[in-house]
Amino acid sequence: MLILSRRLNESIVIDGRITVKIVRVDGEVVKLGIAAPLDVPVHRQEIYEEIQKNNQEALTQGRAAVSALPKVPRPHSNVETKA
Amino acid sequence: MNRVETTAPQPAPLPAESTLRMPMGLLGFERIKEYFLLADPAEEPFLWLQVPHDANLAFLVIAPQPLLPDYKPELSAEDVAFLGLASAADASLLSIVTIRGPNQATLNLKGPIVMNRRTLVAKQVIPTNAAQFSVQHPLPVVQP
Repeated sequence: MLILSRRLNESIVIDGRITVKIVRVDGEVVKLGIAAPLDVPVHRQEIYEEIQKNNQEALTQGRAAVSALPKVPRPHSNVETKA
Repeated sequence: MNRVETTAPQPAPLPAESTLRMPMGLLGFERIKEYFLLADPAEEPFLWLQVPHDANLAFLVIAPQPLLPDYKPELSAEDVAFLGLASAADASLLSIVTIRGPNQATLNLKGPIVMNRRTLVAKQVIPTNAAQFSVQHPLPVVQP
């Protein structure tokens, strides 16, 4: 892993198109400002991993592999009028 | 920061039986850039995100807001720009469903899929207010 020292308001440039700037240092919390093109996803690692894991759990072996779907409340049942 | 609240209830039927382009893929599935959005009336209100060229890979999805009216994910300005959303009415929300047992499932509210209904471009986003939401929110069910 490349390790660089930076001071407040200093930046690093990645691949000529992504800039990561040290915006604030407050005790153990470091705020980073990240400027990247719209097609570069930027995520907090723990949230990325949580959603990635859930996506892997959710992947099914196709429609035929799901024998019975859950029974959800009908969305608009509360506005139906009863005879 | 500009934020667009995707509070509009589903304004019109989802454009089912169409191909969604997901240039960033789903998290962990970045290489799959397209999905078929499939709907079967017998399976309403569920839909499927089917991996093209592999009928054995699919994600079960559902529009969350009819079930959870208080669910209001806020999109970052970057996601609004990426999706080219001109108004909230252009956006449709889908949540990925994980079957956990008989008549038991969870919804991923922390990483919803937002689709531009006009362009059929979609992205799995992390809302700016994601800390309020769970990746395993219990799906409301009725007992059969």
